Amino acid sequence: MTRTRMLWLTPVLLTMLFPLVWMVFISVQPMAGAALSLDAFRRAGFTLAHYVALFREAAFARYVFNSALVAALVVVANVLTAAIVGYALARSRNWGSRALTVAMLATLMLPKQVLMIPLYLVCARLGILDTYAALILPFAVDAFSIFLVRQYVTGLPTELEDAARVDGASEYRILGQIVFPLLRPALAVVAINAFLINWNSFLYPLIFVDSDRLRTLPVGLALFSQGEHGVDWGLLMAGSTISALPTLAVFLFFQRQILEGVVAGAEK
Amino acid sequence: MRREGNLGLAGWVFLSPWLISFLVFGLYPIVASFVLSFREYSPLAPQASRFIGLANYAEALHDGTFWHALGNTLSFTFGTLPFTTAIALALAVCLDKAFPGRTIFRAGFFLPTVVSVVVLSIVFKALYSPEGPLSGVLQGLGVTPPRWLLDPHTALPSIMAMDVWAASGYYMVIFLAGLKSIPAELYESAALDGAGAWRRFVGITLPMLRPTFLFVLVVNTIRSLQIFTEVFVMTRGGPLDSTLTVVYYLYDQAFYRFRLGYASAVAYLLFAVTLAISLLQVRWLKLAGAKE
Repeated sequence: MTRTRMLWLTPVLLTMLFPLVWMVFISVQPMAGAALSLDAFRRAGFTLAHYVALFREAAFARYVFNSALVAALVVVANVLTAAIVGYALARSRNWGSRALTVAMLATLMLPKQVLMIPLYLVCARLGILDTYAALILPFAVDAFSIFLVRQYVTGLPTELEDAARVDGASEYRILGQIVFPLLRPALAVVAINAFLINWNSFLYPLIFVDSDRLRTLPVGLALFSQGEHGVDWGLLMAGSTISALPTLAVFLFFQRQILEGVVAGAEK
Repeated sequence: MRREGNLGLAGWVFLSPWLISFLVFGLYPIVASFVLSFREYSPLAPQASRFIGLANYAEALHDGTFWHALGNTLSFTFGTLPFTTAIALALAVCLDKAFPGRTIFRAGFFLPTVVSVVVLSIVFKALYSPEGPLSGVLQGLGVTPPRWLLDPHTALPSIMAMDVWAASGYYMVIFLAGLKSIPAELYESAALDGAGAWRRFVGITLPMLRPTFLFVLVVNTIRSLQIFTEVFVMTRGGPLDSTLTVVYYLYDQAFYRFRLGYASAVAYLLFAVTLAISLLQVRWLKLAGAKE
């Protein structure tokens, strides 16, 4: 019974993964013309020339650097703010925290296309359009991350915190030294989700940044794929593979946390 | 017992990052764009901005291109929803019971979800190219391949097929969680009563999954109505506007024609459509539940 299931699920899985496998395949094929045709499989070779050419191009290395820098900063900001705000929301019972919880859930439901133009104008007003700040500040605090931490803190006992309070520790010390270490599992989910979303983010980097030297990898690839003098598929697939590798690696290492994050999103 | 469950001043300090971010990047933009949707506004000539009442909304509703884009967006959404949902559910049912290699299959089907949509779109643009492998296989079978993204009749369906492929794994994971929450006793007692696998699926699994269905449908609808990246990378709305979606239209109006007021009105119209469809879906599934 389970044997047969594996037998017919395997071709289904292979078909589904074919586009990604093919992407990597094309990226290491030497030939230039008719690169995409089925014949390519018969004449299969191997070369890293496309990758070398890609990194020789200053612009591309810059895209990778920009994506990495922005993703790293957004992840750190997300983790810190989610820990601090999520803890405060879970532990305070004043009207403010209740109102904020409602406001937060409302933002989660708001479609982002409504925010596209006004966010652009806010960045213009703040004078941060076409800077790294536009790629970081609007995404530094994330409602869903806060919500995840809030749920996690609600499930934690308060004894440790109360004991520290009796000993005279300040609220800041309690958060930093007692609560923060306990939040590690929830913050791992936050960090991984923030990385995946930010590394792959396209629409906002596309409209917030104009200069080539500030472009992130997805924007650079998308514009490169529409090059006016025809497309070099070898280069493009090498670039696509480089863009996909970090997220695939993160997924393989942190599968459990990622799937947990998906399910947590569904259960809110 | 001082300050029971209350962090006092520190609580407000802790809440401040969210408060600031919410005001600057949440509440203010929402209000500002609502106001903007009643104005004529170009970033090239901000001083010429003026209040024009409902003119932006009226213009959109009289614009054939807007309706065309909305039609494409709705075709995209309702053309992909049944397939994505059915495939996701089928995969989840196949992977629900433990068998060797289950985690590998689950990971494999989920894999496209973690790759950037830009990358997936580039790969599918190559797959769909006239000299690409899809056309090659069809030719090998003696079928004249369609011109995929280059033909106005097949361009949108081609993008839809890609979206079904890319999205199914995500909803599969959500269905898997839903299936896990169904108590095993229900199946056991049904099996004792002699219900076969199909009867148990229709009689127990489907009704018990109603909340999951609701979530999957609503989330996927909201996402599909905002489809943009695929169109940007693969077709730029063409050929002959056959893949022009509302968000692409909105992007074009805002950032190529600099009509931010008009584009804001279009955004709010799309928001209204999204809200209406989501509410209908909620009602429809509640009614379906009440009938039993």
